[in-house]
Amino acid sequence: MVKCPNCGVEVEENANFCSLCGEPLLENTAGNEAFIKSGKLRREDKLLTDYQQLTGFQKRKIFWQISGLILISGIIITVLIDFIANNSITWSKYPAAVSLVLFINFTLNTFLRKRILLMVVLSFLSVTSLFMLFDVFTGYTGWEIKLGIPILLVAYLTVLILIFLIRKAKQKGLNIIAYSLIAAGVLSICTEGMISVYSQNTVYFGWSLIVMVSVVFIAIPLFYIHYRLKKATDLKRFFHI
Amino acid sequence: MNYKTSNIAPEPRKFWFALDNAAKIFPAIINENATAVFRLTAQLKQPVKIKPLRKAVLQAEKRFPFFRVQLREGFFWYYLEHFPKHIPVEPDEHGLCRKFPNGSLLLRIPVKDNSISVECSHILTDGTGAFEFLKTVLILYSAECGAEIPNKYRISETVNRISEEEYEDAYNRYFKADIPPMVKRSKAFHLPYPLKSHPRFTRQYAIIPLEEIKEMAKTKGVSITVYLISVYLYVLQEIHESLNGFNRYKKQKKLRIQVPVNLRNIFPSKTKRNFSLFVMPEIDLRLGHYTFDEIVKSVYHQMKLETDEKLINKNISRNVGSERKLFVRGIPLFLKSLILRMKYYSLGTSQYSGVLTNLGKIDLPDEAAGLIDYFIMTPPPPNKMLKISCGVAGFRNKLTLSFGNITHSQEFEEKFLLFLRDQNISVELKNK
Repeated sequence: MVKCPNCGVEVEENANFCSLCGEPLLENTAGNEAFIKSGKLRREDKLLTDYQQLTGFQKRKIFWQISGLILISGIIITVLIDFIANNSITWSKYPAAVSLVLFINFTLNTFLRKRILLMVVLSFLSVTSLFMLFDVFTGYTGWEIKLGIPILLVAYLTVLILIFLIRKAKQKGLNIIAYSLIAAGVLSICTEGMISVYSQNTVYFGWSLIVMVSVVFIAIPLFYIHYRLKKATDLKRFFHI
Repeated sequence: MNYKTSNIAPEPRKFWFALDNAAKIFPAIINENATAVFRLTAQLKQPVKIKPLRKAVLQAEKRFPFFRVQLREGFFWYYLEHFPKHIPVEPDEHGLCRKFPNGSLLLRIPVKDNSISVECSHILTDGTGAFEFLKTVLILYSAECGAEIPNKYRISETVNRISEEEYEDAYNRYFKADIPPMVKRSKAFHLPYPLKSHPRFTRQYAIIPLEEIKEMAKTKGVSITVYLISVYLYVLQEIHESLNGFNRYKKQKKLRIQVPVNLRNIFPSKTKRNFSLFVMPEIDLRLGHYTFDEIVKSVYHQMKLETDEKLINKNISRNVGSERKLFVRGIPLFLKSLILRMKYYSLGTSQYSGVLTNLGKIDLPDEAAGLIDYFIMTPPPPNKMLKISCGVAGFRNKLTLSFGNITHSQEFEEKFLLFLRDQNISVELKNK
């Protein structure tokens, strides 16, 4: 009888592998431990594909490289086609500007993940400049100062507060859904207020109040379930069928 | 009783049964941490020989076809359905009492060095039922290793004569209608220790000479179980008294131990599925400090009183009666699970401070017994209220106490074993 050095059971004399744990049984026990350890590691490694072994940053970087290639080549191609067809740059400045801003935002998301405030501020600035570019392209109507940028600012602020709240929540579950709903409600109120100021020069709230009220009515029971009914909320279990 | 005792082995293809009364709660409360999986370990004197063991398990399966089942969801209840897989013999390297994934058997056999274990979900059976299986495996293993075994343990003799009684829901058999319901108990004290993060379940066990503790119990005129429950309560009292003022004021003052009782000893049944109930001896600290002798005396009488046949019958009827009500049966499964889960915490765990489960003194035919050093009984991982539980198994001259723990503190085990040492009982602590 031979004893398996890994799991300690006795196996057949002539066995090459342990029939319980599958480890190879080597004649020379010197260095065997190390080999088995590496065997174990090898098996654990095999379970993960190459892609799964990458860190989050490496994965984001790959995504950034691919998207950068596609977007930048897209910009060059559209501009070229436009230039060849029309002998000047006309329609292609829109997709080019959008692609450029998209690429800037991907870059920010890849490299400034840890400094969320800076990332959000830069992203806001990039989208603001996109709006301004649009206004320049269409001939100075000034809509972006009065309407576009304020709504954008509110949207960014709400999302920032939402991210902050989600990060601060000790137990993530139904409360996240409730926060998001309320954020959407707040956003719609601000949007309607700004649109009414822009178009009628008065502050007027109509549909957004209905949105807000219904959202609050959904959020309250969600909060109740989360904080009162179940201390450890687990969506899967709670809706376990 | 109109159940069949005729000699039919369950027919594999259409073989299914409803969960027994005790098992019904478990699918609703099981998660990665509270797995409701317990482990019985036989520590052999020699390393396990893997080939004979595999052969033994394959034979034992035939004797226990009703254990080869998986859990399925019906619309109103869960049920167990025949699952044509062999009971897995695995290297024991993944941690204790893990949850059984969906779509698998509810039984596994972890093996390492000298130990053969059976891990079993409580959905399937209780400690006694699973031990019957382990016993069969061990006897067949000894036979495969060359021992001559008595006729009644030979599988070929019994495999075609499996009575339906062996997989009946025995609670149902002893149900009596029209018995008044039970009164709800007050809440009990719970240990104050902070929980460990994942993986949070650890176990350590201690080996005690059976003779010494038997002698000790004898001087008090009680059984080993009563003696150990008393030590348990005494240690809990000590911990309660060492709390600081506000905590002591805030915590419940009832100390109560849940002690599973094997009902097969009270109501004759050959069932290999769940057939146990709990008694809960208690002391009330509002009445003042208890000396150890007072606790022993009180526990002794409470155990006698609570294991009264009529009282146990009342409990069975309460449990079975509630699942028989038509409006309960008609609730869709997902709602039922929700309700069961809430009830489990409000009516179940909150009522007791600890668990002590005693498998009792284990008997094996000499050929198999000769291979074995001792047994360990590891109760299911305690939940976050209970925090610590204790399993006891006695074999020949060795009694093992196994403590399952999910907290950072080992104060309880230390105090428990220290108390035994103070009583001049030698304790050998092992870690795992």
